[in-house]
Amino acid sequence: MPIIIPPCLQPGDTIGITCPAGYMPLEKAQTCIDTLPAWGYNVKVGAMLGSTSDNYFSGTDDQRLAELQQMLDDPEIKTILCGRGGYGITRIIDRLDFTGFLQCPKWIVGFSDITLLHTHILTRCNVATLHAPMAGAFNDDGAAGPGIESLRRALAGEPQSYRAPVHPFNGNGNATGPIVGGNLALLAHSIGSASEPDTRGSILFLEDVGEYLYNIDRMMRQLKRAGKLKDLAGLLIGGFTELKDTTRPFGASVEAIIRDAIGAAPYPVAFDFPISHGKENVALKIGATYRLHVDSEGTILQE
Amino acid sequence: MLTIGAAGPVLAASAPAKAKTGTPLNMPTYLRPGDTIGITCPAGNITAKEILPAVQQIEDWGFRIKVGDTVGKKDSIFGGTDAERAADLQQMINDPGIQAILCARGGYGAVHIIDQLDFSPLASHPKWIIGFSDITVILCHLHTNGNFASIHSKMCNSFPDDWSKAEPAQADSILSIRKALSGERMQYKALPNTRNRYGRAEGPLVGGNLKTIESLAGTRSDIDTAGKILFVEDTGEYLYSIDRMFWHLQRTGKLDRLAGLVVGGFKIKPDDPGEEFERTLYDIVTERVKAYNYPLCFDFPVGHQKENYALKYGISHLLDVREAEVTLTDSSVPAATTIPGA
Repeated sequence: MPIIIPPCLQPGDTIGITCPAGYMPLEKAQTCIDTLPAWGYNVKVGAMLGSTSDNYFSGTDDQRLAELQQMLDDPEIKTILCGRGGYGITRIIDRLDFTGFLQCPKWIVGFSDITLLHTHILTRCNVATLHAPMAGAFNDDGAAGPGIESLRRALAGEPQSYRAPVHPFNGNGNATGPIVGGNLALLAHSIGSASEPDTRGSILFLEDVGEYLYNIDRMMRQLKRAGKLKDLAGLLIGGFTELKDTTRPFGASVEAIIRDAIGAAPYPVAFDFPISHGKENVALKIGATYRLHVDSEGTILQE
Repeated sequence: MLTIGAAGPVLAASAPAKAKTGTPLNMPTYLRPGDTIGITCPAGNITAKEILPAVQQIEDWGFRIKVGDTVGKKDSIFGGTDAERAADLQQMINDPGIQAILCARGGYGAVHIIDQLDFSPLASHPKWIIGFSDITVILCHLHTNGNFASIHSKMCNSFPDDWSKAEPAQADSILSIRKALSGERMQYKALPNTRNRYGRAEGPLVGGNLKTIESLAGTRSDIDTAGKILFVEDTGEYLYSIDRMFWHLQRTGKLDRLAGLVVGGFKIKPDDPGEEFERTLYDIVTERVKAYNYPLCFDFPVGHQKENYALKYGISHLLDVREAEVTLTDSSVPAATTIPGA
């Protein structure tokens, strides 16, 4: 069954902003709220953004679920932009009803903890979603950067083409396939659950933040042992930022850990792809088909 | 605290029980004085000096020790290269002169070698494999692939250098390894806790380190928990991460058909400022199991702590959670079993 690609946005369309996981103060989203109208869109700010919550989450499970559900069901909202990730999707995901969403598919935008929403929607609904920077990334001149620009282009339906530099661990080759992936910890967390993606024939991409090196290694081994690195079309390794190490140093770089876990891959592999919790984080349409080209000049990924 | 029933050690294993999954329980023979315990490093590295207190103590118990080639080896954080660690453990699995294999320590690395190991010699000659933390990989794998019983316990790195200075909980925990290996009927007590859920349940005891269990999902080492008593412990995790792992247990079908749930020690990493989770471990677990009605106990003496008693993994136990007391009893050894002259 071919993937359902939500329609691109038209001037005057409305983007809803919600926080389905961690808490975010309203002012952290202000640049985003100011920028989206300049792109020609209306903004509807949900109550979960800048909520009165005094704990980790933006609201109770019921509150976060209700707002995300309302935005999924509201035909006037053409895109749902998550304010931030954090933690919390797994607590509400099995209670989401995608009936209305399937009748009127729309872009769901986010990354990090939102990875679980992406893999769930891909697996359960066969609808493409947008792995991209969120509201907070518009701050500190981010709105003028390539990540937010790629989000603007993706929403407007302009074709995407990304480049990455040569990396000594790259495996050269060409591949075509649907893109799937996201945050490594959340992908590992999805395994065995209703949100687990089938990666066969896909171009898988991975990124993570704040993990111990040994834990990156453990999660890569889990992906491998669960068959998630087998029969891929290609593999993109994004940024692994703010890494931690144990008192006894792991003794290998994150790139070497990943290379060793992959082994002799029969598909192209590209490191240093600009997807991360750092400054480089371009938009990818999960479920949409891309062409990957890796050679001695570098990496090109095109929609 | 650990109490041993009226029983003394028995000479041999009780008759193998049928596992719920259909594969009969592969029960190693309990150890007798003169039997040999091999020490190996399937995960983190350890020096020959660091295992000396364990060697001394185990020899005092009347067992022989065979020190594996990986003790003293180091390859980054590992006790030798993957090939060296796999070869050392494999050699001990194959060696009919070794009756039990004690992992020197956890750390990280068992998952690197688990798929290279051939456990089939254990089918005709089962032997005890002993460890916890990262060794949860091996215990889960043995349970799922062949229904081999094993022992979840402290390892060489937890034996006291000086017994006269060891705290009673640590000493009792170490001594419980001998009791479990010798076939004593194990009975454990946990302190009452108002967050416990009362009831009685019987089933094979499985579980281990929660993060490690999560990392086995989707792999051939993953455990089926239906009809079983699941125990979990962890160390160094944030509350949000513990919450996510309990959600993972639930979303992968590991909580809904349990016989009982035993929550051991959790050393919790303090929340980062501004990221206060504002739920306790008790809240997290209670929320996840409120739809079920099996017995649940907290603060069971298993985990990365001084009180970490040897548990017979994969073997049937009776969990009895009452307001006044909590007991977990090894139901594979008859209460009245005694050994002549013991």
